[in-house]
Amino acid sequence: MCTMSACRNLLLSVMLCFIASSTAMASDTLARIASQIEKYSVVHADFVQTKHMAALKRPLVTTGRLTFSRSHGVLWQIEQPYRMSYVLGEERIVEIGSDGVRRERGLREVPGLAQVGRVFRALLGANTSALQEYFDLAIKGDASKWELELKPRQAQIAQFLTVMRLDGARFVEGITISEPGGDSIQIRLRNAQGASVPSEAELQLFGSDAAVSAKP
Amino acid sequence: MNAMRWRALLWLALAVVIAIGGTVQFSGQIPLQTNLLALLPPTERNPLAEQAVGKLADAAGNRIVFLIGHPSSGTAGNAARRFASLLREADAFRQVVAEIPPFDQKQLTGLYRNFRFNLLSESDRVEFSAGPGRIEERLQRKLFTPIRLGLTLPLAEDPLGLSDAWLAELPLKSLKLDAENGLLVTRDRGKLWAFVSADLPGSAYDSDIQRRITAAVAEAVRMLLKEYPETEVLRVGSVFYAGAARASAEKEVDLIGTGSLIGMLLLLYLVFRSLRPLALGVLSVGFGIAAAVVVTVWVYGELHLIALVFGASLIGEAIDYAIQYFAAQLGAGAAWEPMAGLRRIAPGLIVALTTSMLGYGALMLAPFPALSQIALFALVGLGAAWLTVFLLLPWLLKQPSRRDPEAAVAIPQRFLVWWQANASQRICLVITAILLCCAMPGWIQLTGNDDVRLLVSRPPALLAQEEKIRELTGFGNSSQFFLVEGATPDVVLANEERLAASLALLSARGDISGFQSVSVFVPSEARQRQNRALWSDRVFADEAGLRKMFAQAGLRDEIADRLIGEFKASSASVLRLEDWLQSPVSLPFRYLWLGRVDTGFASVVLPQGIRDVTHFETIASGVPGITFVDKAGSVSHLFRAYRQWGALWLIAAVALVYGVLCLRYGLRQALVVLMPTALAMVLSLGIFGYLAIPLTLFNLMGLMLVLGVGVNYSIFLCEGGVRAAATLAGVLLSAGTTLLSFGLLAFSSMPALAGFGLTLLLGIGIAVMLAPMVLVFSERESA
Repeated sequence: MCTMSACRNLLLSVMLCFIASSTAMASDTLARIASQIEKYSVVHADFVQTKHMAALKRPLVTTGRLTFSRSHGVLWQIEQPYRMSYVLGEERIVEIGSDGVRRERGLREVPGLAQVGRVFRALLGANTSALQEYFDLAIKGDASKWELELKPRQAQIAQFLTVMRLDGARFVEGITISEPGGDSIQIRLRNAQGASVPSEAELQLFGSDAAVSAKP
Repeated sequence: MNAMRWRALLWLALAVVIAIGGTVQFSGQIPLQTNLLALLPPTERNPLAEQAVGKLADAAGNRIVFLIGHPSSGTAGNAARRFASLLREADAFRQVVAEIPPFDQKQLTGLYRNFRFNLLSESDRVEFSAGPGRIEERLQRKLFTPIRLGLTLPLAEDPLGLSDAWLAELPLKSLKLDAENGLLVTRDRGKLWAFVSADLPGSAYDSDIQRRITAAVAEAVRMLLKEYPETEVLRVGSVFYAGAARASAEKEVDLIGTGSLIGMLLLLYLVFRSLRPLALGVLSVGFGIAAAVVVTVWVYGELHLIALVFGASLIGEAIDYAIQYFAAQLGAGAAWEPMAGLRRIAPGLIVALTTSMLGYGALMLAPFPALSQIALFALVGLGAAWLTVFLLLPWLLKQPSRRDPEAAVAIPQRFLVWWQANASQRICLVITAILLCCAMPGWIQLTGNDDVRLLVSRPPALLAQEEKIRELTGFGNSSQFFLVEGATPDVVLANEERLAASLALLSARGDISGFQSVSVFVPSEARQRQNRALWSDRVFADEAGLRKMFAQAGLRDEIADRLIGEFKASSASVLRLEDWLQSPVSLPFRYLWLGRVDTGFASVVLPQGIRDVTHFETIASGVPGITFVDKAGSVSHLFRAYRQWGALWLIAAVALVYGVLCLRYGLRQALVVLMPTALAMVLSLGIFGYLAIPLTLFNLMGLMLVLGVGVNYSIFLCEGGVRAAATLAGVLLSAGTTLLSFGLLAFSSMPALAGFGLTLLLGIGIAVMLAPMVLVFSERESA
């Protein structure tokens, strides 16, 4: 119910890889972007995240690696300035500290988090009607250079984010999320590469979630 | 005026009293009680627990939950909104809710923000109690997380995420429903289900409300399906079960009443070939039933439907007195004199009434409203039917019977003569031995059933919808909870926290998935002070260190100052129960707080996802102020105790009956008289074993009646002998009508009544078949 902040972040992580797989979208551009990415079941990319927050003297920059796997979920590995990983699965979210300790939370237990999973699955299943339940989509450009704007349709979500912008070419390259309070988050992605399976190390980090979310 | 006339007038006066009584109490519609709880005895030692059970049941009972499902999620939402407006238009509900206001997280964070230095999550409390806790890591987690998990306070207000952790522990989401587009929805196999709830304007057990609600819902569903053809509507609510129970009880009363009446009239006509006994029989039974209804309603203020259905089957027993009188008339032939005839059968009728009165009177002593109501109904009904025979029938049955008694019972008599001629004592003993051998393996397979649901008939269609709704929403199905008491609200909260510590262990073992309690939302004052001390020691002890850490992380300087200032300023603040109760945040959980009670204050702690209750009792026992309440469980315990106790009582009753028979017949002949009934009882038990029908308290009640009624047939045969055709006619008629009524009861949808009826059908049926054995062994007959 109340966690569109979570929704927002997961959404972007997913979208940056898979917005384009929503082949059913009316837009030809989206269909073409989709076909560019769809052939990969796993996508790797380096990220630079910049958080602009009122409480911070200067923007907070973190860098790391992102892995999206169709069957495992999203792996968000922060490398600088502090090592920490997050696994965003279909059923749960796992935080892995620098010491390797896993802190798990079920999506069902947290109000609204299941919606995250819902959006997640909608994207995964290229279910545009489900996506459009939550957002108004607007697209600019063509498959070689595009920009997508998502505005929440529901007041519920609008409490937490005003707008999300995605841009990219072959893959998603940038995401900007604006919050009502003025804080914003920017993510740039580089060196995006498709693969067919996650690496051994990544599989290990996906851990028990691998079994749970290995649903088509 | 002769005595007969005076008696008839007296009866008329009684009838007028009953008629007036009935008219005053209720016009047309009998006040039927359909609430299961009203049937059950108070089982809890703690009277407050009974109150709490009632309160929770009411809260849940007066609400209907619908799920509106459709493959297209947009359509499902529209259909749910349309359905809600259809229900509202019907004007039968107090309130219909489909749209829920968007969850405003500011309400929640607003309530707790000012008290955040008094609050810590369970794991943080444990960690801070044990050592310094890794403060810096907490700050980093708050900063770097790509995902904010659940409810969160802004970075400036909760840089360490300690309040976030506390908020995350709140059991806000116990259901599998999510808010979407202003509706609560859940998804299942390609379908979206939207949640609509409707509150009844009164009790779910009120017949007017049942009728109005059932009609309104049916109409709304019909309209909805017309507009949205693919929609599926699931419903759950006590009102539907109660309405269905009422409808099926009324149907059964019709079936059993009409069936036994028609059968009885047919039997009477076959034997007496005259319409007069028919009319008089109906009169005596009718008066009996009417008096029973009026008196029961007068005493209890209502009639429970289980008593009504049972009452319908009483027809077969109430007719017996009239039958005896008709039999006397038949036997007397042309020499019939009404008062002399009555005098001749009076001793038998008085004994018969007395034994029934004793039997049902004992039932009335049971501290069990259902049984005592049935008993009162039977006592009054039988008494009134009996009075009709004594007061009214002599005046209306002046003419001698024209029917030849021998012709009336020609066929059964031939059967009896054949029995006597062909069955030697040795054959009877062999038959007895064979029957016993056949029955014995059945006994071994006997099992018991003490489920409280024996008392309710639950239509499978409604049950399936309820199951589906539970599966889709995660609604609990529990009548099991902990009652927590204390002198003040704060003592209640402290007691809850002690209980919570034990429940956390059960949760870790997987016995439960979690629990809901008030103290999760509002910790006790002592716990709040303890938390504040931990904040003070672990977070604010080293102010310079905190400032330095924040500065290094890039937080603005004023944040540390403001945090320290707020902590110091809040030293006196305590989150009070009233703060929470007054906040809209508590709305879904307010039912947990029972408020002021006789002993002080009380609340309910509700375990969720219960898989194993074995340790609940242990947790509650020995902890003052905490009671484990399991209404269904205690009723089952009571049923089991009654069943086991009833089995012993049955053996004692057999011995008692044998003793009484010995007084009249001597040791050997008494055994012979008792034998058919005893065999009938053990054979019935064997049959239950073979058919894998678990034995219930109600089967034992039935066996008790088999003993009382079955022995009569042997006695009558023994007394009248095979040649007293009129006596035989009476016995057979009695058995026939009793079998008919109770046999029809076996088809009741209420498992308790069906078991009772089946027991009587089997037991009395076998007892009647075997009763001729008495003649084989009878010394008088062979002499």
